[in-house]
Amino acid sequence: MNSQSAPHQESEQTRGEGANASSPKESKIKGLKCRECGRLYPAVAIHICEFCFGPLEVDYDYAAIGRRISRRSIEEGPKSLWRYHELLPVTGAPTVGLHAGMTPLIHAKRLGKLLGLDNLYLKNDTVNHPTLSFKDRVVAVAMTRARELGFDTVACASTGNLANSVSAHAASVGMKCFVFIPHDLEAGKILGNLIYNPTVVAVRGNYDDVNRLCSEIGGEYPWAFVNINIRPYYAEGSKSLAFETAEQLGWRIPDQVVVPIASGSLLTKIRKGFQEFEKLGLVSSNDRLKVNGAQAEGCSPVYRAFVSGKNHLIPVKPNTIAKSLAIGNPADGFYSLDVVFKSGGAIAAASDPEIVEGMKLLAETEGIFAETAGGVTIASLRKLCAEGRIGRKDLTVAYITGNGLKTMEALSGALPEPVGIDPTLASFRKTVNPTN
Amino acid sequence: MTQMRLHLTFPEERVREPIIYEICRKFPVVVNIRRADISLDSGWVELEMDGELADIERTVLYLRERGVHVDPLEKSILEG
Repeated sequence: MNSQSAPHQESEQTRGEGANASSPKESKIKGLKCRECGRLYPAVAIHICEFCFGPLEVDYDYAAIGRRISRRSIEEGPKSLWRYHELLPVTGAPTVGLHAGMTPLIHAKRLGKLLGLDNLYLKNDTVNHPTLSFKDRVVAVAMTRARELGFDTVACASTGNLANSVSAHAASVGMKCFVFIPHDLEAGKILGNLIYNPTVVAVRGNYDDVNRLCSEIGGEYPWAFVNINIRPYYAEGSKSLAFETAEQLGWRIPDQVVVPIASGSLLTKIRKGFQEFEKLGLVSSNDRLKVNGAQAEGCSPVYRAFVSGKNHLIPVKPNTIAKSLAIGNPADGFYSLDVVFKSGGAIAAASDPEIVEGMKLLAETEGIFAETAGGVTIASLRKLCAEGRIGRKDLTVAYITGNGLKTMEALSGALPEPVGIDPTLASFRKTVNPTN
Repeated sequence: MTQMRLHLTFPEERVREPIIYEICRKFPVVVNIRRADISLDSGWVELEMDGELADIERTVLYLRERGVHVDPLEKSILEG
């Protein structure tokens, strides 16, 4: 299960540099760095420190980036996450996912009024391109980097959004694609992947078996496994949510953010994105920023650690309708907990009925149909407001990460039936009575 | 010979038991602990395990039967 190999690795200096790329003489990527021991590695397809087993992160040359990036250079960039390419871990011009990102930031006045918030904003990734979830961001970055490193095959293990995004992006550039799923996954979710014609591998085994097999395959085959050997680059794509938020707020950092927690990577990278903008002088520092997390009660290892005040996470068997957040032993759980604690934020959890109520509330007040993860975020936001953790005047951003059309089954029986009438005006007046 | 890299999580009721010692006695596997964090009520260990694949699989099964949560080093890979 040694997942360190990648056969087509090329050095930073030998890769082609596109028109929008950084100068090869002043590369923005210094390499990879262990988050635990600080040991340095070349920027290739590895994800774990061989010395201490800590996770690797991209190490940027912020001095070089600072000489090139400005608000103006960003504003003149493409209307996609690639306007922030200086802060993304690719060396050349983007080649995959050119239209991902730059989703709307909506001032949610009606929902805010109901929750007692004057300055509530929603970052709406339900309309991300091309597969309607925030995964299009991380996959665009991961696959662009994978191609720079010479891979022609991409893979992932996923039950939903990630598989959709990897399959669609692979199809768009003609890469070979393998998607691993549990054998008992619902047919509808498989169809959403098969349309892009990847090789879908249904593993006869449970959740743990799929995990273990994918870890072994990640070490055996010369593939870009987006959330294994490409993970250091893949995860960086989430920073674009913070970059866009700050720019769309008029180059400001919010006072409060509410972020759903699955692996925990999204939450930590949103914080990192804001910190990078502060470090480069693109925004004023906001020491008030509190980073809050949202989990489904049926899969809440980070929430449970938070409420018990501990930094050890106990893995759980997921049992929730919020499948896109159902990660029982999150890779970045500890780090997300650390970010929340250090920022003075909090984590809330939502039961399945509360998740559905959250989805309905968002739809009825703001016209946004989010998947179950969005319901988790809104239900958790509501709890954080009720507990007084988020104040009326706080500039607050909640992250809505996927489209409701993907989790229609969660609403089964939760919505009113249509009003049936005969095809006559009299029947309409009698039954619907619209003047009442 | 095969090598696996594993992340073991010990619940409170198992954290004071010498389970790593047990697996080294019971199975022909070589265990090399690389990172760990143990407290009174919980803990985790990251290690390399070398041996024949069948022996490693029996060891993992034993660990799970003893109440230890066993993941690959990457923890949960299967995402939504």
